[in-house]
Amino acid sequence: MAYLQVENISKSFFGVPVLHGVGFTLERGEILGLIGENGSGKSTSMNILGGVHQPDAGQMTIAGETYAPASSRDALERGISFIHQELNLFPNLSIEENLFIRGFPRPRPWLPVIDRKRIRRRTEQLLDMIELKVPPSTLVSRLSQGERQLVEIAKALSTDAKIIIFDEPTTSLTRREIDRLFNIIARLKAQGIGIIYISHILGDVERLADRVAVLRDGMLIGAGPIGEFSVDRMISMMVGRSISQLFPERSRARTSEVVLEVMGLTQPGMIRDVSFTISRGEVLGLSGLLGAGRSETARIIFGLAPYRSGSVKVLGKPLQANHPRAAMEAGIAFLTEDRRGEGLMMNAPIYDNLALPNLDTHARPQTGWIDRTTLALRAEELSRRVRLNAADIASVLARNLSGGNQQKVVLAKWLMRRPDVFILDEPTRGVDVGAKAEIYKIINTLVEDGCAVLMISSETEELIGMCDRILAMSNGEVRATFEREDFDQERILEAAMQNGRREVA
Amino acid sequence: MTNLTEKLPSAGAVPSVQRPLWQRLLLSEYLVVLLCIVYFVAMLPIVPQIASLQTFQNILSDMLQLIVVALGQTVILIIAGVDLSMTAIIAMASVVGASVMTGTGGPLVGSPLATPAGILAMLGVGAAIGWFNGLCVARLRMPPFMVTLATTMFFSGVAIWYVTLKSTTTSIANLPRSFVVIGQGKIYGIPHSLWVAIAVGVAIHLILTRTVFGRQLFAIGNNRVTSEVSGVPVARRVHMAFVISGLCAAIGSILYTGRLETGSPIIGANILLDIIGAAVIGGTSLAGGKGKVIWTVMGVLFLVLLDQSLKLMGLTLFMVFAIKGAVILAAAIADAARTRLSGR
Amino acid sequence: MKENNFRWVLHAVLRYLPLILFAIIVASFSLMSSRFLDLRNMVNIVIQSAHIGILGIGMTFVLLTAGIDLSVGAIMYLACAVFAVYLVALPIWLALLAVCAIGAVFGAVNGFLITRLNVASFIATLSTLFIGRGIALFVTGTQLITLPKPVLELGRTTIFGLSWTVWAFGLTLAVSLYVLSQTTFGRQVYAVGADPDAASKAGIDVKRILFFAFVICGFLAAVSSLVSASQVGSISPNFGIQKEFAAIAAAVLGGTSLFGGRGGVLGTVFGAILIQTVQNGLVIINADPYIYPVVVASIIFLAVMADSLRTNFLERIDQRPIRVEGQGS
Repeated sequence: MAYLQVENISKSFFGVPVLHGVGFTLERGEILGLIGENGSGKSTSMNILGGVHQPDAGQMTIAGETYAPASSRDALERGISFIHQELNLFPNLSIEENLFIRGFPRPRPWLPVIDRKRIRRRTEQLLDMIELKVPPSTLVSRLSQGERQLVEIAKALSTDAKIIIFDEPTTSLTRREIDRLFNIIARLKAQGIGIIYISHILGDVERLADRVAVLRDGMLIGAGPIGEFSVDRMISMMVGRSISQLFPERSRARTSEVVLEVMGLTQPGMIRDVSFTISRGEVLGLSGLLGAGRSETARIIFGLAPYRSGSVKVLGKPLQANHPRAAMEAGIAFLTEDRRGEGLMMNAPIYDNLALPNLDTHARPQTGWIDRTTLALRAEELSRRVRLNAADIASVLARNLSGGNQQKVVLAKWLMRRPDVFILDEPTRGVDVGAKAEIYKIINTLVEDGCAVLMISSETEELIGMCDRILAMSNGEVRATFEREDFDQERILEAAMQNGRREVA
Repeated sequence: MTNLTEKLPSAGAVPSVQRPLWQRLLLSEYLVVLLCIVYFVAMLPIVPQIASLQTFQNILSDMLQLIVVALGQTVILIIAGVDLSMTAIIAMASVVGASVMTGTGGPLVGSPLATPAGILAMLGVGAAIGWFNGLCVARLRMPPFMVTLATTMFFSGVAIWYVTLKSTTTSIANLPRSFVVIGQGKIYGIPHSLWVAIAVGVAIHLILTRTVFGRQLFAIGNNRVTSEVSGVPVARRVHMAFVISGLCAAIGSILYTGRLETGSPIIGANILLDIIGAAVIGGTSLAGGKGKVIWTVMGVLFLVLLDQSLKLMGLTLFMVFAIKGAVILAAAIADAARTRLSGR
Repeated sequence: MKENNFRWVLHAVLRYLPLILFAIIVASFSLMSSRFLDLRNMVNIVIQSAHIGILGIGMTFVLLTAGIDLSVGAIMYLACAVFAVYLVALPIWLALLAVCAIGAVFGAVNGFLITRLNVASFIATLSTLFIGRGIALFVTGTQLITLPKPVLELGRTTIFGLSWTVWAFGLTLAVSLYVLSQTTFGRQVYAVGADPDAASKAGIDVKRILFFAFVICGFLAAVSSLVSASQVGSISPNFGIQKEFAAIAAAVLGGTSLFGGRGGVLGTVFGAILIQTVQNGLVIINADPYIYPVVVASIIFLAVMADSLRTNFLERIDQRPIRVEGQGS
């Protein structure tokens, strides 16, 4: 029996099945690479392992004993430590304080004082183990991202972890920090700690892991020793041959009128020399991994982020200023990645959300007096157009809508502006299948009417189904362009995973 | 990594018809109106004078000047801020206006221009201080609490010092009749201040509900980032909001000063907490994004009704304080419950 | 390179502005009057700033958790009022303890409203301000109450030549400094203020921390009221009015952020002393009393502006973008 044995785990959320009978094993001192695309079930599996969620079916054992954590604290007590992508550190406290924040040891139990000497010593030990050469009294705010990650590992070690789960640990690290991380992981392995390493960077997985498990659509597609898995094989297993959803047909009459022209867009540390054009009636896809620079490009085009050099032109005219208003006036619309934080006012009714970017176009220019009738009519019209499923748009609050309906609201509010360019960043993330299909139809109609669309998505299938051309980005640069005839899931993913040459900022 | 909660289809809001009566009442926007009516009816047997014309007139006059100021605060609360400097603006406007209208040997004494000049000066003071507040909050990104705290300390002091320059007493008296009449005068029993209050109320209501500026204020209070992404010029709007607040304080000062018949630097010194309390009782949330003129009016009405009834009952200051506090607390708890119930 | 140096200097100036202002103020006043730098005057400043200092220390606990307590002035009044009216018969030490207990209980009520009924701290403490002051006015009958002799004697008590207020001040500072830096509770206060979600995930009982922060604040408000009352000798219906703003001002001047997680009691004490130094100096040079609040307000404003410029503008430029290194060619 393996040290950690996970068998037949299934999980549904509100009737939507997310995991179907997933299972894997982990031995002590073994590194298991867990790979899969977005939505493959990786995060759910790890959340179940980490006690954040409870499975509907299946069982887990650790060292032969049943393991069924009801909370992340339970998981911690059984020796499972989860290092998330978003680090849970307190920047205003020192390293040693962060490590012991749950409860500081005292020199005598009845003495209400922190045993500084003891935590200093223990922290030094832990920092030694992870090769972080900074004094334990350093404030976390002074540490780089990579160093902070190491502190998280130290935290895991301080809880006497037997299994450590790493979730996409290298997205914000420098090359040197990554090497250091890998050394430490090797050391942890030598100490007998089991490691689950989740990453999109297959080269890293190839380098580190002893065994690999591939998830797709909530199922375990394959697992085995790393020797049996080349990067190619991993990609083809992640991607699979079955197109799990149908994409609506669209007339592909691409005109030659260039609507959006981006030339040499550069912002040090973010993107470098990004150039492309989009014509009327064309959908350009941007594929890439986290940190590739896709959303950054979109935000720069829309004026939400500054750029050092390059230009953005809409219908031949350069943008007037680096600000959303200028982009909007030029005819650009932007559906952001984070709809709850940036796309919607969660506590406001649908109507207010729809109206927000359309207030000035429905008001008298001098006084700002809103033409409520026209605005209301347009809002109703657009709600119908996107097939919004809500009783009364004037009273239903955005936060009470399903993900799909929320996304439709964001779409609708921008559609009201009749944009020439529409940038969509993860338009179907967190959206159920039914609403997805409707959103695709809306996008198609939009395109057929002459809009130029830039679509950013982590689902290669989606890009292949919807786009005329796809750019693959990684590390802030465009790596490859694919025409529709050459669309190939594996090759696109491969191009997005190219590490390539990195530049000094 | 996919955020799990994004994938879960929400259950959707419970249709309001299905809720129990007490919940529907609690959630109703006009809870305060109900409370006022209930309170009034409850007080009738105890203090029947409450239904008298005299009481009604007292309530009205107290209310009107408070409403004007409270509306300014409402605008700031909507953008999730707070304006602690309103009382200082009232004081400053009062003394500056009074000095303009009564300046010994000055060109304006006794002239028909005195009153309009004084009014203009007062509005100017309000707009200027509001503009300064707005500058610090919107452009320098300083927290509104601290900015307006500093402003209020500063200008309260300046107002007192200013009076010592212009007068031998602690206030400036002998205001022109035409000015005083605004705060005090009546036509057929209807005070002039009523028209002022109505004008301010209607103006702010229209701004908030019918203009781009107003709707954008709500958006900023709801979610500043979403507003920016949707093209709202956030800094400009926030700045303007503080100017409006300053103007409201100035207009309130016109009424207060007229009623008092002197320009005084301690005018309205204690109303700050009442203003915020009235807004909260009325249903405006301190978290921003919500607020209506009628709510604030109701909140002020309730507060003043409370004041008057307790005075009639012969209860002294302490009861007023304690009950006000209790009502504000109840309103806040109700608001917290309301947010929770109307969600998932 | 030169640009970096300039930025560094600007950064330092903005960060230590209150200290710089203090130095300027002390220097100016000592130049303007020889009575300023007198030892007795210095001690006087400390004595006068004691009650705001203690109040501010309590407020610091709450501010560190990103909360606010507007009711401290009312707590001051209520605690002393109950003491002066009901507890005069008790032996002085018992009575003093009772006063502090009243403060702690009031703080517990605040804590309850905020952690159990989920009312925002601004509004919760705004309403308890009203209620507290109301009850206190009831207790005193809206009258001026002269304090009994034992209290007045307490006010004159000196230990080793220093007024008891200085000792109380020093003790409060020492204990709170200790608690905030050397106990689990104290460090968790900072953690909760920095990131309540991460704190919760780290296993910290966030509600408990918030609750006790308000209890401590209430307790120290009561202590502050004793200090103040023993100096004044009587309690008027305006006792404690608007002291919450003075306490917040002292804390913010001392570097405590309204948004939580940043600052400390040492800074707050400095802030209280700074404000008192200004007022003291203005009195000594016979300045118009009307400009006291003006000067103090300006200092507070400058400090807040410096902090804002530093966090919003300077540090934004300094933020390192994601660093990517060359691998050679």
